[in-house]
Amino acid sequence: MAILSLEHSDQLYWLGRYSERVYTTIHEYEKRFDSLIELKEEDYNAFCKAQDIPNIYNSKDDFIQRYCFDENDTNSIYSNLIRAYDNAVVLREEIGSETLAYIQLAVYAMNKAKASQAPLIQLQKVVDNIVAFWGMVDDDIDNEHVRSIIKLGKRIERIDLYARMKMDPVRLRREMKRLNTRINRTGLKYNTMKLAHLNYLVEMSEIPNDIVVEEIESLFDDEERRTENA
Amino acid sequence: MVKEELYSYSDTVNELLARYGVRFGIYKNGTFKEQLFPFDMIPRKIGRDEFDYLERGLKQRVMALNEFIKDIYGDKKIIRDNVVPEEFVYMGSGYLAQCEGVRPPKDVFTHISGIDLVQAKDGEWYVLEDNLRIPSGASYPMIAREICRRSSPETFKKNAISDNRNYAKLLRKTMDHVNVGGHTVILTPGRYNAAYFEHSYLAEQTGAHLVTGNELVVENDNLFFKDYSGSKERVGAVYRRISDEYLDPMNFNPESVIGIPHIYDIYRKGNVALINAPGNGVADDKGIYYFVPDMVRYYLGEEPVLHNAPTYLPFYPKDMEYVLENFDSLVLKDVAEAGGYGVVFGSGMTGEEKDRFIAMLKAEPRRFIAQEVIDFLDIDIYENGEAVPRKADLRAFVLMADEPMVWKSGLTRFSRNPDSFIVNSSQGGGFKDTWVMEE
Repeated sequence: MAILSLEHSDQLYWLGRYSERVYTTIHEYEKRFDSLIELKEEDYNAFCKAQDIPNIYNSKDDFIQRYCFDENDTNSIYSNLIRAYDNAVVLREEIGSETLAYIQLAVYAMNKAKASQAPLIQLQKVVDNIVAFWGMVDDDIDNEHVRSIIKLGKRIERIDLYARMKMDPVRLRREMKRLNTRINRTGLKYNTMKLAHLNYLVEMSEIPNDIVVEEIESLFDDEERRTENA
Repeated sequence: MVKEELYSYSDTVNELLARYGVRFGIYKNGTFKEQLFPFDMIPRKIGRDEFDYLERGLKQRVMALNEFIKDIYGDKKIIRDNVVPEEFVYMGSGYLAQCEGVRPPKDVFTHISGIDLVQAKDGEWYVLEDNLRIPSGASYPMIAREICRRSSPETFKKNAISDNRNYAKLLRKTMDHVNVGGHTVILTPGRYNAAYFEHSYLAEQTGAHLVTGNELVVENDNLFFKDYSGSKERVGAVYRRISDEYLDPMNFNPESVIGIPHIYDIYRKGNVALINAPGNGVADDKGIYYFVPDMVRYYLGEEPVLHNAPTYLPFYPKDMEYVLENFDSLVLKDVAEAGGYGVVFGSGMTGEEKDRFIAMLKAEPRRFIAQEVIDFLDIDIYENGEAVPRKADLRAFVLMADEPMVWKSGLTRFSRNPDSFIVNSSQGGGFKDTWVMEE
């Protein structure tokens, strides 16, 4: 069996999380961008609240530009993509050059979108590359643990975002099912009580989204995982 | 020849190199930046006979250098026999007292050597430098060849070019040859190292694990890789891409945070192979370079096949006299510098600079070597749609398993500045593929 360091397992996990964060937030940003075209100046505030990010923006236009492209804003989509890249670039021998290339291409596409007069159209290329990256993860990575840890990160991020944004419970439940089938293929230790609790929470008629966020965020407590593995 | 077809894909090939993250890092004003390494489509071509000659000379040179290192940290016969003066051995920064008496697995010190050569206008090849510590650069022509073959298969169908994509196999063979039992890893200082792309690419291509120091631990006189599941796996060979002084804080620089405590202790006991061997710097010092032809004669009893560039050591009064008389026609190199730094041309100095330099030369004669300026053969590069001549060198790679193996390719670096002889990537140079022809 191939060996994998704790550092690389963390990087795989966060690669999955950040790539998903970019994918979903671009979709949400596009919807919000569209609605802001006709709506009032302060409407972007709802989006910040839903995403649990501070409203540091001066105006609607400032939000449109900085939330997406500001490399100094740690919550921007750009910053999240760079974090995905930072994790991917140190995993070449685990994920392969072909798979890594799609994250690299997403960065190039993001820079192009930033300089473009029509960023929404250009952002589609970022999304396309993220989707291609996930396709390569499935198709090209032979090591099941490596593949599963990336996909686990993706599932956890998706549940986290869906709960924060109070999305359709059907979608949240679907992601929870996927998480249940994936988690034991990773070789990672996790809190089984929290997983059971999460399964219970998402089946409630009124899902307590705040608690779901809390529980999913602590399912893989790094400190706990390091201790167990020491 | 369908080379024109190949040239027409220049932009596409460079885009693909960018796609795969083919870069090198550079620190400027304290900030790390990654730059694309510009690739020129016009290859350097070396004919079969010419390469056979180079191959003979390179094998001979590396075998002699390996013997020299073994001797210096062992019997020191070459010093006793007055072939190499001891001042040049012990005053050089590459000599490490900690390596005295240490024999690496299978007595291989120079696992991977990067020998820098230039070809003069009369066709003669000269060795400019031996790099025996952590020579880098093989990954660039490897990946460029892969992409060029995709761009223009016809070029490779119609020209009998040796396949250079076996470098990973040669490297794997080199690492396996000395592995003392367990996994093989490539040890990198981390993502912000200038050659990080190469570290990760070679790990991918050889199937070795890319690790940083904190993923390895010495326990019970063995080296282990810490797996995420909590288990520990023995490591038998480390292709380390970090320099000697940072390898082990317990034996070298105590402030190193990227090394592995006690790795050198278990290496000394023969419980792990370190590739290349620590202490190799004693043989690739620019001052020691002067003596390599003598080493070939001394250890192998043969005349050297490859020539050094005509070199003078101001350390010797006779050479100092020559250097002072011919200052304007020489290039002077600081033996402690690398990467194209510390190189000055006598002809390029003002009177005041020259006086200052000569004072320094007289005060520290061991610190400098002087060489005749070789009029390099210009090689065409493709710029703005036309071929223009530029200076270029060749880094040839020699890998040592049970015998030395010369990679049938190499890294050809060129200067993008028409007036410059400096080809280093850190100084803005680009690279080319090197075709060794089968016919």
